[in-house]
Amino acid sequence: MNRFNPDMTGEPAVELNAVSLRYDTADEVLSDVNIRLRPGSFTFLTGASGAGKSSLLKLIYLAHAPTRGEVRLFGQSTGMLKRRQLSALRRRIGVVFQDFRLLEHLTSFENVALPLRVLGQKPEQYRDEVADLLRWVGLGERMHALPQSLSGGEQQRLSIARALINKPNLLVADEPTGNVDPEMGKRIFRLFVELNRRLNTTIIIATHDLGLIREFEAPVLRLQHGLIVQDVEHQPA
Amino acid sequence: MPKPTPLLPESDAREAALFFVVAALCFLAVLATLTARGTYTAARAWSAQVEGEMTVRLSDTDRRGAEEAATIIRGMSGVRSADVLSQEDLERLLEPSFGPGGIPAGVPMPLLIAVETAPNSVTTALAITNALTAQGFNAVAESHADYAAEARSALGTLRVAAIGIVVLLTATAIAVIAFATHAALLARKDIVDVLHLAGAEDRFIAQLFERRFWTLGLKAGAAGSVAALAATALIIFSAQSSASQNQLLPQLSLDFWDLVILAVTPIAAGLAARLAAGGTVNHALKAVL
Ligand SMILES: Nc1ncnc2c1ncn2[C@@H]1O[C@H](COP(=O)(O)OP(=O)(O)OP(=O)(O)O)[C@@H](O)[C@H]1O
Ligand SMILES: [Mg+2]
Repeated sequence: MNRFNPDMTGEPAVELNAVSLRYDTADEVLSDVNIRLRPGSFTFLTGASGAGKSSLLKLIYLAHAPTRGEVRLFGQSTGMLKRRQLSALRRRIGVVFQDFRLLEHLTSFENVALPLRVLGQKPEQYRDEVADLLRWVGLGERMHALPQSLSGGEQQRLSIARALINKPNLLVADEPTGNVDPEMGKRIFRLFVELNRRLNTTIIIATHDLGLIREFEAPVLRLQHGLIVQDVEHQPA
Repeated sequence: MPKPTPLLPESDAREAALFFVVAALCFLAVLATLTARGTYTAARAWSAQVEGEMTVRLSDTDRRGAEEAATIIRGMSGVRSADVLSQEDLERLLEPSFGPGGIPAGVPMPLLIAVETAPNSVTTALAITNALTAQGFNAVAESHADYAAEARSALGTLRVAAIGIVVLLTATAIAVIAFATHAALLARKDIVDVLHLAGAEDRFIAQLFERRFWTLGLKAGAAGSVAALAATALIIFSAQSSASQNQLLPQLSLDFWDLVILAVTPIAAGLAARLAAGGTVNHALKAVL
């Protein structure tokens, strides 16, 4: 067992059973996908552009329902849940979007604080926490800057900070190093590894940066035309 | 610690346009209500005043005959007074038609008796006509309340029309706000999506829009209300300052209930805006997972 797979027992944090996805009337984007991510695991998702990585992650962070099959999170079948229960599940998931999705009229500080405001927390409660996290991702000096005045890499780190502020049980990151130089990419990945070890956060990262994948030697799911063609984690040792 | 920035960005040009539309609708609704109420109140006061007043018109007789007729009428039950109108009374009555110069010589002058009866008196215009006819007079009595009844039924129609207008304006305002919320929701889809995926419940997101549109409705309603107050004051002022038309125009004035309407309108507009916004957002959110 490697350091990324601590909990071999218990319910999977993420489980996709025979999942297919079709947008509108187009062809299937995902076909019969079966995945299990153990709590505290660290997994890479890779594949060519258009293979369906972002689509698969959308199913996991509950932005989309599968056309067929079952998505289970933390032992709950999401298709059965009420809207409020889905909202409660989403609060346990941190998402780093491929396109950041920062709110342009809020400062860095306020963007990171957003998930806490959703929980009803007041500025006095989250001030220090948000400032600490911003310093941790290297944005201590840019706390009151608006997103459009940040560089691509800074925006990326900001969106990572927003995904982490809630101490999620599950972190879903879509190309989190797409806009940064290799050195910053490595720093970001180390940050994820630290999170995974310290808080036992389950992490799945979509990336086509093979260099980083090799360096961090975590299990890899490879998508090709909507099919999982390589599942390192599930292969016999 | 400064107050956090609102999750929905501050108002834009679209909201300024919406503000104007809601304010204008409130202005029209208040003006319609006040005018209808003022007219109706004035008419009611007038018809209450003429209740029990009659005029008896005599022909083929002279002033002495008229005095006799008046005496007969006074003898009937429930009659408070019956007076033959003097030449001066007639001239004053007909002044609007003939001007202050008086009635030209040669114009045949009717003989009129003004009769006043107690409220709910059994003596009707018909009873007076019959009594005088029986005594050999050529007389016709007319109750003023008959005119009032016509005016009252016309005013009843006016009131229904006014209520219809207010209902229509309110419905229009709600529809416009629902439409605007939809546009705002589309324009802020990025924000709504991020909040939704961060685990915000529908109620949380709806509240952002509800609060925004409640404030907008409140302010726009207040603006419309104040403008309507100013317009009403202007109408009253100009009506009172042009003395010749004083009697024809309804006696517009502001009473307690008018002030209540002025005060309630902004709140009603705010609530309507809030309702329309909340409904629209909740409906739109149901469409996403
Ligand atoms: N909302 C959508 N509606 C319709 N088709 C979509 C939608 N989102 C993605 N697709 C299609 O689904 C397929 C998979 O897209 P997806 O974004 O999941 O790929 P990806 O592996 O993340 O690619 P990339 O590496 O470029 O980010 C593509 O053919 C894309 O055009
Ligand atoms: Mg993608």
